Amino acid sequence: MTEIQPLVEMRGVHKNYGTLQVLSGIDLEMWPGDRLVVIGPSGGGKSTLLRIMMGLEDIRRGEIDLLGKRYITGHEQSGKTRIDSTLRKQVGMVFQHYTLFPHLTIISNLTLAAIKTRGMPKPAALDKGMQLLKRLGLESKAQSYPSQLSGGQKQRVAIARALMLDPRLMLFDEVTSALDPELVAEVEAVMLELAEQQMPMMLVTHDMWFAKNIASRVIFCAGGVVVEDGPPEQVLGDPVNPRTREFIERVFHIKT
Amino acid sequence: MEYEFQFHYILQAWPVLMEGLKVTVQLTVIANIIALTLGFVIALLVLSKYWLLRAPFALMIELFRCTPVLVQILWFFYCVPILFGIYLAPLPMGILALGINLACFNAEAYRAAIQAVPREQLDAGVALGFSPLQRVRYVVFPHAFRAALPVLITNGITLFQQSALVAIVALSDLMYMGRQVATQSYRPIETYTAVALIYFAISFPVSRVAAWVEQRLDAARA
Amino acid sequence: MTIDFSFLARYQDALLMGLGMTLRLTLIAFALGIVWGFVLALLRNSSIAPVRWIAAVYVEFFRGTPVLIQIFWIFYCMPIFLGTDLSNFTAAVLCLTLYGGAIMSETFRAGMKSIGREQYDACHALGLSPWTRATRIVLPQATLRSVPVLLSNGIGIFKESSLVSAIGMMELMFIGTTISNRTGRPVEVFTAVALIYFVVAFPLTRLVTWLEKRILKRFAI
Repeated sequence: MTEIQPLVEMRGVHKNYGTLQVLSGIDLEMWPGDRLVVIGPSGGGKSTLLRIMMGLEDIRRGEIDLLGKRYITGHEQSGKTRIDSTLRKQVGMVFQHYTLFPHLTIISNLTLAAIKTRGMPKPAALDKGMQLLKRLGLESKAQSYPSQLSGGQKQRVAIARALMLDPRLMLFDEVTSALDPELVAEVEAVMLELAEQQMPMMLVTHDMWFAKNIASRVIFCAGGVVVEDGPPEQVLGDPVNPRTREFIERVFHIKT
Repeated sequence: MEYEFQFHYILQAWPVLMEGLKVTVQLTVIANIIALTLGFVIALLVLSKYWLLRAPFALMIELFRCTPVLVQILWFFYCVPILFGIYLAPLPMGILALGINLACFNAEAYRAAIQAVPREQLDAGVALGFSPLQRVRYVVFPHAFRAALPVLITNGITLFQQSALVAIVALSDLMYMGRQVATQSYRPIETYTAVALIYFAISFPVSRVAAWVEQRLDAARA
Repeated sequence: MTIDFSFLARYQDALLMGLGMTLRLTLIAFALGIVWGFVLALLRNSSIAPVRWIAAVYVEFFRGTPVLIQIFWIFYCMPIFLGTDLSNFTAAVLCLTLYGGAIMSETFRAGMKSIGREQYDACHALGLSPWTRATRIVLPQATLRSVPVLLSNGIGIFKESSLVSAIGMMELMFIGTTISNRTGRPVEVFTAVALIYFVVAFPLTRLVTWLEKRILKRFAI
């Protein structure tokens, strides 16, 4: 019987901003098909964890593997972080503030990276981009500029832009936090659809109901470590750790 | 290059240059004082509800902003006496020309800053029972002045540099004295370099102050 | 005395010729200044420290001294260094370019700086190469942000160009002064000259405002 290889393996990841310790030893394994929701108090390092996974941040110590290959290593002695830039071909990320390129049309936002980094021929990229937009019901916006879209539409385009590159893992960093409440659902729907297609994802959200719906696994991060890790029913419904319990009670306003 | 620098000419001419600098500083400082106050008044007028108050001052701002300062100076020196019968000594006339020019630029800075005063601040002023004049004095002006300060300082330095143009109408400022020294000593390189350095030595530190103020305001806003 | 502008009709051709020269000087210095300004902005971001310093000193010096003295310096001192005389046209273009370049390099720099960190994050996350990032993301956005200000800088050069009359360049200002001296009617002449400058500069300032709004609306940057 062949052993299943973990998708992501983090070992002893430490991160600090100056003297502020943000992550103090994260150990985490993600399996193919995992939809991992990271919850926890603000300042607990949730977003930092995702940014590190994307290779956007240096780490002080620790290593991160993806599909058995070492991509990130933090060397404490030299203070340097080695990041294998091919990581970016495997991982896609969607940010809180859309970060679409304001000077490019929607379709160009989608195709630029595919053409430039994957060497995809332009017609093929356009074709793929249009298909993705059609799936999201945004094909009429292909020639518009980001400023002409609503927040929800922009965020769906940002998801499509990441999907263009066929990532093995998607990272969603509070992607609905900046949206007006009535626009949240359309973005969450896209993410749920991806979940149905077994797209592995790691996401940070403050929306506990959405977390419950989409997660296959929830981790509670506080004080720079993983405090609790388990299926959503457990971590969100009946947490073992008192710190998790207190947090859940506070955000749900209910006693469990 | 076989040119031989002889900077001792500058040492000889130093007292003369300093005389000129004194005039330049006088011009700059007084014109700035006029412009900081007059500029605010013009800004208020331009933002007035009444078209008749707004229009002439809006036109005045555009006229001063869209023509060369040199033309304005010549206009003041040659035309104001004839048109208005106002005969002033060169220095006050220079101050008047530069002061009004700067007031128009400052008015633009104030106008933008006044329009950026948060609505709630004005509402609070009304709620506290301030008279319109008190609201301007205690709410609008402090806000606008703070927000406009970096631009006001930058405008002030620009005027310091523009003041060199009065040399063309024979007002004996630093530029004028420099030109005299340069022609009399036949040492243009040393003289013009020295004069440029004197201007730079004053405007550069002030421009740093402006940058610093802007950073602090940005930090306070963030 | 009575104000009567009608005599100016006789000098119409001279004034128009002066305006032509002013516009020619402005356009040449503006075009060269954009190029020089962009190069300076890149030099100020150079990874080699002395290059950065020299560029910074250059920019600060041209921004911190009166344009008039720059003109005198170039017209009277450059020939001594170069060993050949400069025509006043060359000196005028050179001066306005060197000055304009310094001003416009600041515009470019501000445009580059205003691109938010998130844009760089997004480039990173999409795996764009530094070259693609520079040419497809940073440069277009910096340009869009800079265009209105660059145009304002151009209007500034147009106004500053009046100073080259001091070295005998026969542009609008110089011709105006000459006519005024010859006719002894400064009120009409200087008013007319001021209006000519205004008629060119004012619509351009409106264009700048319009462009700013349009770019803001279209791209929200």
